[in-house]
Amino acid sequence: MSFFDPLVLLLVAAGLYMAWNIGANDLANAMGTSVGSGALSIKQVIIIAALFEFGGAVLFGKRVTSTIAKGIVPIDSISLIDPHLVTIGMLAAILAAGFWITLATFYNLPVSTTHSIVGAVLGFGLMAAYNGMIGYTEINWTVLGKIVGSWLVSPLLGAFIAYIIFSLIRYFVLQKTDDPYNIEKKFVILQIMTACYIAFAHGSNDVANAVGPLYAGLHSLEMADVGIPLWVMALGGIGMVIGLATWGYRVIETIGTRITELTPTRGFSAEFATASVVVLHSYSSLPISTTHTLVGSVIGVGLAGGLAAVDLSVIGKIIVSWIVTVPVAALTSALIFAGLLGVGI
Amino acid sequence: MIKKEYIRSVLNVFASSPFKPLVIHANKGGDCVRKLNESLQAYCNGDMEKVEALNKEIDVIEHEADVIKQTIRSELSSSIMLPVHANDLLNFLKPQDSISDDSQEVAFWLTVRKFEAPDEISEGFCELMKKTLETVELYEDLVSTLSELLETSFSKRDVEDTLVLVTRVEEMEHQVDIIEKNLVKLIFQNEGVIGAPGVYHLSRLVRGIGDIADKAEHAADRLRTMVLRR
Repeated sequence: MSFFDPLVLLLVAAGLYMAWNIGANDLANAMGTSVGSGALSIKQVIIIAALFEFGGAVLFGKRVTSTIAKGIVPIDSISLIDPHLVTIGMLAAILAAGFWITLATFYNLPVSTTHSIVGAVLGFGLMAAYNGMIGYTEINWTVLGKIVGSWLVSPLLGAFIAYIIFSLIRYFVLQKTDDPYNIEKKFVILQIMTACYIAFAHGSNDVANAVGPLYAGLHSLEMADVGIPLWVMALGGIGMVIGLATWGYRVIETIGTRITELTPTRGFSAEFATASVVVLHSYSSLPISTTHTLVGSVIGVGLAGGLAAVDLSVIGKIIVSWIVTVPVAALTSALIFAGLLGVGI
Repeated sequence: MIKKEYIRSVLNVFASSPFKPLVIHANKGGDCVRKLNESLQAYCNGDMEKVEALNKEIDVIEHEADVIKQTIRSELSSSIMLPVHANDLLNFLKPQDSISDDSQEVAFWLTVRKFEAPDEISEGFCELMKKTLETVELYEDLVSTLSELLETSFSKRDVEDTLVLVTRVEEMEHQVDIIEKNLVKLIFQNEGVIGAPGVYHLSRLVRGIGDIADKAEHAADRLRTMVLRR
């Protein structure tokens, strides 16, 4: 099978679109907090994000990518029937997730790319089982349970860690000073470090949303080994960086100008907590939403008394988007897969 | 829904802070009292044209204060988490808003009747107005400490600094009370010169000015509750 097969090209293009989307929105969200606190200029943020996002994706992104590619749906069993089925299924999954994400972006809904792609991959698996290619029990429900559980745990963990970090800063630094504004200046340097950290963390987890399905397709066509090729990871990294540079800077600007409340001490607490939680999950091969974790961490800083006003209604919105995303992405993906099979591709 | 920006973002978690508008609102009250001070000077000098003009200016500032107050209230939905109790914040906003309301009333009251009284009474009014203005300006300083409190997320030292200012506002309001009582006595001592309508007009004027300082003291007291009870 050649790289220039239309099906492969389509899969690569869809993966790039997904990566672009993630860079334009999710990465921009994670980085926007650094601009909001005035720690970095937009140009600096884009350079830092590009370097560390790419680094995180290439060096530390394989575990989660592997989970998305073959942790949920047994692609090896399906490709025994016909290797093309996996490629078509993963194409359906990435199209469904991309469609849902685009729709959510259009309506400014807090939908996670991670939740979308997991739901979409599951949809492909369910349709495969419905068509008798695999048994329903062959879908790895344990892994899926762990992933869904981690979506609940990660924002809570983010809130908890951010709460502890900000409380420590508050007790040992802010309350002992005569000049809190000077402390904020000192935290700028720390916040630059956490900006790198959060970009790395984001790259290591979210690259999977774009290249997981791509790798699964290539793997079935025997164009990729058991190990994930470096060029696949690099492709995801580049796609996300392009998304940030072509669209994400606007998102960063919007966020940066709106969240002046998040001073360097607060920003540091929220970002450090978020990045740590995300890296931990990348290490555990679990795909989570960086944005939702960041929201949890910001609430944690608020609970510690660090923010003037936090809107808790966002929790409800996130839960709703979470409940809606998985079934919708799964259904769309299943229908696209069935459709592609129906037209005989 | 906010205007189309085509982003899925963390922005939703950040609500707009009520504290900055609170400080601006307090300053609007201060502006009203500063204008009222000018108006009272003009009134004692018999410059009724200026009194009329300032009355209109105060109306405008009072309306601006009302708009800020309404914005703060409307943005404090039940899902907003603040570092203080939202009820305490609203309880302190109310008397703070009365500073501009009461100034508006006094400014109007000045326009309805010309000043006809001995010099010692006009001196008494100047003294009363000066002390009231000082009380309100000290109150403005007190409210502006909120930003530092938020910055250190209520450090003990900053809370103490704020509480000291609360006490000073209360002391100053007490001085206003004393001036107020003496002035009322003085008005009645001169009732023969001033006449019944004059006595009614001036004594109500004294009450009106004194009320402004009262409201500043009241708001300061509520602010203390808000800071301590959080």
